[in-house]
Amino acid sequence: MKAVEIVTDTSRRKLLAAAGAGAAAGAVALAPGASYAAVTKASRGSAQEGVVAYIQDHRSGTLRLMVGEREVVVNDRDLVARILNAAGGK
Amino acid sequence: MSSHREAPEIAKDPVADSTDVYAFRSPKNPNMVTLIANYIPFQKPDGGPNFFEFGDDVIYEIHIANSGKSKSDISYQFRFFTQVTNPKTFLYNIGPIESIDSKNWIRPQFYSVARVKNGKKTMLAEKLPCPPCNVGPRSTPNYAALSKQAVHKLGKGKVFAGQRADAFHVDLGSVFDLGALRPFNEAHLIPLPNMKGVNGLQGFNVHSIAIEVPIEEVTRDGKMPSDVADAGSVIGVWTTAKRQKSRIFNDNTAKYESKGPWEQVSRLANPLVNEVLIPMADKDEWNHTAPRFDRRFAKNVKRPELAALLPVLYPGVFPNLAKYGKDRADLIAILMTGIPSGVIPGFQNYTGPVEADMVRLNLAIPPTAKPNNLGLVAGDAAGFPNGRRPDDDVVTVELRAIAGALLPLVDKSFTPDAAASAVTDGTKQTNARTKNTFPFLGLPGGGYQTKPGTTKAS
Repeated sequence: MKAVEIVTDTSRRKLLAAAGAGAAAGAVALAPGASYAAVTKASRGSAQEGVVAYIQDHRSGTLRLMVGEREVVVNDRDLVARILNAAGGK
Repeated sequence: MSSHREAPEIAKDPVADSTDVYAFRSPKNPNMVTLIANYIPFQKPDGGPNFFEFGDDVIYEIHIANSGKSKSDISYQFRFFTQVTNPKTFLYNIGPIESIDSKNWIRPQFYSVARVKNGKKTMLAEKLPCPPCNVGPRSTPNYAALSKQAVHKLGKGKVFAGQRADAFHVDLGSVFDLGALRPFNEAHLIPLPNMKGVNGLQGFNVHSIAIEVPIEEVTRDGKMPSDVADAGSVIGVWTTAKRQKSRIFNDNTAKYESKGPWEQVSRLANPLVNEVLIPMADKDEWNHTAPRFDRRFAKNVKRPELAALLPVLYPGVFPNLAKYGKDRADLIAILMTGIPSGVIPGFQNYTGPVEADMVRLNLAIPPTAKPNNLGLVAGDAAGFPNGRRPDDDVVTVELRAIAGALLPLVDKSFTPDAAASAVTDGTKQTNARTKNTFPFLGLPGGGYQTKPGTTKAS
């Protein structure tokens, strides 16, 4: 498996799964993603361990997920915006 | 220092901090090449109860370029893991450690060795025991025996990973006090009485990874080289340490967790390059860069800051060096490309035009029966900068090179200043003597046996 995977044009389903990963990295529930998280089930390939989510540049729309020995790069401005909102306490 | 604490970020991460690289044909087994990478600088021998050990969360690697492209064609990869056999004691050991599998050693460390060639990884050995640190006569009563037990067979070669005495020597206290060399104190811009050099590494240990492999395992054609002029006789060597990209403190376990891909955080080949030639703002990036991309740093070798400082720090001593306005083709050859044929009769260690900091070793040159620690400049072609042996006085060689002593080799119009061939920091190796057998560095100083140094505030 490649050390760095890039996910672009995230599907809604992937977006929701990634939102769950983002929530796992922080204590603040995403809004309005919190309601999505309640209905999103783990997919077959979902991570089975802790994940670190990292937004290197808050203007970029890119989220980096550190999992195992890999980095998954998610390009999704909506997801990043929601995480940034959550990080800002909103 | 060769590369001890040489960059802001790695200075905070000693477990991943490479300090020295050595590469030489083994004097007693000349069909073998020995590669040594040292880590974890400035180990005070009595630094218990948590004595020094390799990082379980670090990948240590020794790289070899043999295709003339300055890329890692072959590497030897080392991964460590530490056992804690008795978590209820504060002690490193609960009795004498008389063998490396002693139950009295509470934190035994083990490692694996893998060979990576063209991206394909082959595991060579697993669960090889390291020796303990040299604690003292009660805890490690026969350290030489422990050390010997930690030399393991590896195919046709050998491997060792553990604590040794640091063989590097330099006058740290003086060099970093405005570029002073104690033997020439009176000529300094801020003069003090001349005096002998003081080895700043005296009394300190390092952790050493040493591997001895058949030469034909590291050459591009898989053969033992015999022609000094053949490009295939030359290898480039460097070491790296990698950490995972993310490190986060788990407040449930009170330990750090690492996640993500492995990123290079330390690298080292020629001594003093990142230390002295690369400016502060670029040192961390240099540590994160592969040698084949060193072109971006080459300006610091072509126009080294230290060469400009010497005439300022030692007024009137380096007038010819002060007037020299061209790029330093001598330093580029020595440090970044290797020395091409025709510069020194009967010698070359050129690896092609790619500017890359590597220790270059022409494997067709046999070991010298009576080595000269000034290496190639003293007529001993088996020594630095043709590879590097543990006893090579690399500080003196590089100081003289930067001062212009070797510049006439590539620019006949330059006359070196008289001082260029005399400069030295005045130090010699004062730790345990190196050995002429594997793993070559001397036994580490013991915690009980080693007396702390003295300090003065003024």
